[in-house]
Amino acid sequence: MGIAAAREGLLERLYWLIKLRWLAVLGAFCTVLFVNHGLKFKLPIFPLYATIALLFMGNVAFFFRLIRLKNKSALSMNRIANVQIAFDLLVLAVLIHFSGGIENPFIFYFIFHMIIASTLLSRKASFLQATLAAVFFFAMVNLEYLGILPHYCLKGFMIDCQRHNPIYLGGVSFVLVSTLYIAVYFATSIANRLKQREMALNISNEQLREKDNVKSEYVLRVSHDIKEDLAAIQGCLEPVARGITGELNPKQLDLIQRATRRTGSLLFFIKALLEITRMKLSREVKMDYFSFSETLSEAVAQIASKALDKNISLNLYLEPGINRIRGSKEYIQETLVNLLANSVKYTPRNGRIDLKGSDKGNRILIDISDNGIGIPKGELPKIFEEFYRASNAKEVERDGTGLGLSIAKRIVEIHNGKIWVDSQEGKGSVFHIELPK
Amino acid sequence: MESKARILIIDDDPDIVQSMRVVLESKNYRVENATSGEEGLRMVKAEKPDLVILDVMMETSDKGFDVARKIKWDKDCKDIPILMLTAIKENTGLDFKNEAGDEVWLPVDDYCDKPLDPQVLISKVESLTKSN
Repeated sequence: MGIAAAREGLLERLYWLIKLRWLAVLGAFCTVLFVNHGLKFKLPIFPLYATIALLFMGNVAFFFRLIRLKNKSALSMNRIANVQIAFDLLVLAVLIHFSGGIENPFIFYFIFHMIIASTLLSRKASFLQATLAAVFFFAMVNLEYLGILPHYCLKGFMIDCQRHNPIYLGGVSFVLVSTLYIAVYFATSIANRLKQREMALNISNEQLREKDNVKSEYVLRVSHDIKEDLAAIQGCLEPVARGITGELNPKQLDLIQRATRRTGSLLFFIKALLEITRMKLSREVKMDYFSFSETLSEAVAQIASKALDKNISLNLYLEPGINRIRGSKEYIQETLVNLLANSVKYTPRNGRIDLKGSDKGNRILIDISDNGIGIPKGELPKIFEEFYRASNAKEVERDGTGLGLSIAKRIVEIHNGKIWVDSQEGKGSVFHIELPK
Repeated sequence: MESKARILIIDDDPDIVQSMRVVLESKNYRVENATSGEEGLRMVKAEKPDLVILDVMMETSDKGFDVARKIKWDKDCKDIPILMLTAIKENTGLDFKNEAGDEVWLPVDDYCDKPLDPQVLISKVESLTKSN
């Protein structure tokens, strides 16, 4: 678990590196533009723009390499990070060469690469990258010194051309290279401590999850046993209450019906508890492609008679284009029925419930809106919590498990979707569900 | 009323059995009971009931499925319909994919969660015994 999280982190930082490189392309381009036109330095403009273009194209290549990366092992991602940083060092060295070499104060930008390397790579690899930066730098300085490469003086910035000033060359080189190594040392020290802390957090999270699982197993076992007994009680009460065992006098009938009703609501509660506990324990559900429009209509059909009893109009709007989606049809349908049943329960007679399905590209959005009692503002953040029931809901309906919405949330989350609510007390509520197709 | 079918309930919970017996006998079905899988299988083979009502959670959690398979794989008994008592996704964690009639997984003709509503029980029993 810790390793998987670390790998996710590395992938995320690789994308971050690509984002930074776009900024670097833009920054370098603007700087060259400004230095060339604003400060009127005489720099070899074509090679500079060509190098920036190379950086741009390199980044495009890195981006596509990363999104097509199938083997997301730590090793292959490390290799990618190493290659990218080495490429960046080379590009920076070339840019600096064409813009004054050692006279260009941008040489200290090598430090940024060292910090990036330290956050992405091991300490050893980061020191190797520092060495590579030093090699590129020394190569540039020496080749320019020896006249093998031309040197472009930054006249106007430096008083004199420093190419043949060994004290300047030696001094700047020493400061730069030592700074690179020291930067790597500090940055890797901090990064390592952070990584260790992250690992410890991941481990303790995992332990907490395990403890929570043990608790859930316990709840599952207890509620299952309670359910067995309740089912037997209900099984014995029902035939009597229905008069199958013979006619009851009104008082007997009344008491038996009360008992049956109470057992029924306890059974309903225990079943909901079983369901949410089971869902907590199973990390995934079986998914398949299914017809979303059909599921939506079936959910509406299931609730239609209840809505009719209260003369509530139930309207379904479905954008064309939503047909097949991937998920567990039964769970999604259950969620929709749950939410619709809630709306019917908390909407007064002659009210209105709208169910809308919209196509959002690779996702779908479902809105269930009603003009019911709504949810008090202060209670909105709590309503998806287990066993929570809004205060005004309790007034309308005494019985309720407080589990319906947490089950719905769990189901939606298992599908990598989102569920949220907008509501105004006294005016109504809109539940939104977003699901991937 | 025509002579009603014979029903074998295989369930080790005497209270559940008794409550179903009362409901079914009120409709003139003849009810017999076995309290273990082995006894149930023996009775199915010997008496060829018109319907078997089978509890899933006998002894071990998959005992009911095992009994169902053995009945359906026996050439003399394979036509006897089975009504299985199970909250299928709850007991097996299998979710709904394996629906009744799946030969390999759940070779039963119908299933129903406990407790059974008397009316549901009667209508299921009626349709299963009629179709046979």
